[in-house]
Amino acid sequence: MDEQFFTHEFDNGLTLVAQRMPQVSSSALTCAVPAGASHDPSGAAGAASVGRSWLFRGAGDRDTRALHDALDALGCQHHESVRSSHLLLSASMLGMNLSEALGLYADILRRPRLPEEGFEPCRDLAAQALEALEDEPMQLCNLLIREKFYPPPLGRNPLGRAEALATIRADGLGEHLRRHLTPVGTILAVAGAFDWNVLRQVVGDLLADWRGEPAPAVATGTAAGGRTHVTKPTAQAQITLAYAAPTAADPGYYAARVGQMVLSGGMSSRLFTEVREKRSLVYAVQARYHSLKTRAGIFVYAGTTPARAAETTEVVVGELRKLPEGVGEDELARARTQLKSALVMQGESTSARADALAQDWHHLRRLRSLSEIAGAIDAVTVEDVLEGARSHPAEELTMLTIGPEPIGGGAGA
Amino acid sequence: MEFNRTQLDNGLAIVAEVNPSAASMALGFFARTGSRDETPEVAGVSHFLEHMMFKGTARRTPFDINREFDELGAMYNAFTSEENTVYFAAVLPEFQAAALDLLGDMLRPALRQEDFDAEKKVILEEIALYEDRPHYRLYEKLMSRHYGEHPLGHSVLGTQASIEALEREAMQAYFDRRYSPGNVSLVAVGNLDWEALVAKAEASCSHWRPAPAGREVADTRGTLTRESIADGKLQRQHVGMLSSAPSAQDEDRYAAHLLATILGDETGSRLFYALVEPAVAEEASCSYRPFDGTGALYTFISADPDRAAEAVEIARREYARLAEEGVGEAELEAAKNKTAAGATLEGELPMGRLSAVGADWVYRKGYRPLAEHIERILAVPGEKVRELARRFEITSATVLTLGPRESL
Repeated sequence: MDEQFFTHEFDNGLTLVAQRMPQVSSSALTCAVPAGASHDPSGAAGAASVGRSWLFRGAGDRDTRALHDALDALGCQHHESVRSSHLLLSASMLGMNLSEALGLYADILRRPRLPEEGFEPCRDLAAQALEALEDEPMQLCNLLIREKFYPPPLGRNPLGRAEALATIRADGLGEHLRRHLTPVGTILAVAGAFDWNVLRQVVGDLLADWRGEPAPAVATGTAAGGRTHVTKPTAQAQITLAYAAPTAADPGYYAARVGQMVLSGGMSSRLFTEVREKRSLVYAVQARYHSLKTRAGIFVYAGTTPARAAETTEVVVGELRKLPEGVGEDELARARTQLKSALVMQGESTSARADALAQDWHHLRRLRSLSEIAGAIDAVTVEDVLEGARSHPAEELTMLTIGPEPIGGGAGA
Repeated sequence: MEFNRTQLDNGLAIVAEVNPSAASMALGFFARTGSRDETPEVAGVSHFLEHMMFKGTARRTPFDINREFDELGAMYNAFTSEENTVYFAAVLPEFQAAALDLLGDMLRPALRQEDFDAEKKVILEEIALYEDRPHYRLYEKLMSRHYGEHPLGHSVLGTQASIEALEREAMQAYFDRRYSPGNVSLVAVGNLDWEALVAKAEASCSHWRPAPAGREVADTRGTLTRESIADGKLQRQHVGMLSSAPSAQDEDRYAAHLLATILGDETGSRLFYALVEPAVAEEASCSYRPFDGTGALYTFISADPDRAAEAVEIARREYARLAEEGVGEAELEAAKNKTAAGATLEGELPMGRLSAVGADWVYRKGYRPLAEHIERILAVPGEKVRELARRFEITSATVLTLGPRESL
């Protein structure tokens, strides 16, 4: 299948990246603005979470209701998410509504009202979301492990901290947002049904004269690492572990992805087979790859009844540490097939592609075609995977657990 | 796109929507069985059985099954609901035959005692996992309260006690009845080869022996009770409400979906403006659940324990206002546009079409192309939405709350 990619870097620092997908009638956009959780002002952890809803409380000529109604009238499904470096504004719609939707998003980016009366409810919603997280231990531990693993504030929980949220003020947040709503470093990704010349023209008309400074650099500290236990009377012990992996731009990236699939790609993968199938220790066990620009990791999760937490941890860590010892050609073949298959299926989804384009530009400053990625996956050998596992072993593990009691024994750091 | 259907001599239905321009294909076996078809002694057997389907056959070990799926690069999974158990895979077109061979074989499982005993522990872990999810706990208990004696009130997971007590023989007997070929459909969508699909299904499934597998189907308004479950370990007050709605067979299901969207879609709905925007509740939604012979409108609210009662009262007022005054033109248009766009997006993915084509077949023994579904959504008059709100008395609901409070 012919892949049609387009890029345009505007003079003001904004980058437009796009992939035309002839077989679909929908379009999706992802706008990544350098206003993610790691950019939260010092002492204001959670600012981005407040900001992401406050931004939608009116823009340009429209108040909250008019803005929401305008998006709804276009049949737009939209959501906003806070990542480490970026705030992502995403939307999917029928292709014929793309230009109008872009008009609304241009208003949000350049002329958000950030009304005084809308601030408190947004802060309240963020505080409530943080409380609700306490009732979802699986979600909670998967967020907290990143705080421990990455150098602060890169792994900061996007929902922030209750004490910090309580101190955020409208004028302070308003100033912060306006400073970070800048074309410099903002990536606008579009995928689906569009005409490139029209798209570039529309985006140019809407955003080419948008002015702003680069977002301030984020100063990072030393990662906390170590072992942390959070006591909660949960039915299952929630166990998460993390260790370093090559970043998305690193030459070792593909070998690391393949290695992660050997560990946790499907039901014949090592973790599923050893922890669940053979020992019935868990329902859920998985290892996921996650990359920031400067750091990446393999993040492992398992949930089990508390009495079996120590054994589960031991088996999991044992499997992670076994990887450098050898990988079968059959395992390699399955890992490759699964990765490539997932790629093709991702290629059918306009929203998945818009996200992927934004990610590619953020990490690599270029777009990768599906055939390039497939070729790179095919080129990975068993030796590459083993070399990768040796250079990024499951040692110096960061660990975070939630449960009625700390996990005894098992994983040495 | 082309729709094809046929049936094997033993009653297995085969239906497919062929789309030659898709990059992949998806297929699934839809068994018309779920928790509503269980008796109390075997509570959770449908779901446990779904797990056991992956634990080997006469000619495949559990590892063979897992390995083969992964070799196909398949996106695969299975799920059990109150009414259906579905086993599905999305694969590149060249793996169609291999995927069908695998799934078809799996649907006649070995049900070995040692695998049964081992997998029982995994089911118990899954039950514990859902114990830690208050939203799920609430939904399960609410369904039980709302439906009372009606079989839709049965728990899908079962309980620790019922699963521990379950025996292999009881599962085998359940399987022999419920997985009769006349009670199962093979559904496929995407870039597929119809003739090859039928030939392969014949080769793989003709030996399946038919057995009678019925289902009692009755409508109900629900018990309309109100109850609180106090749990001091939770921070938030979770509130669930169920009221009756059109069934999966009812043509009014399109209007029901729009009603739910207007009342409680994530953005721009009545609940959004009345509860979320002013931060009275951090989450408030309404969704439509069609079932065999009956349906439900499900409202969920998550709020501060001190504000939950207020949130419920506000929601009830909004529902009463819609039943009284009807829906505005703009909000009806918006709901239609969002629904149409959502259906289009879902339809671009084979897995999305598989669910839709499967539902059309399982519930209505029919087929509607996506365009026709969208047409029907767009044709719903506003007055119909109001009429539904009144006929189904959306302000009378079974209410259950779970959280720190003893009562709302």
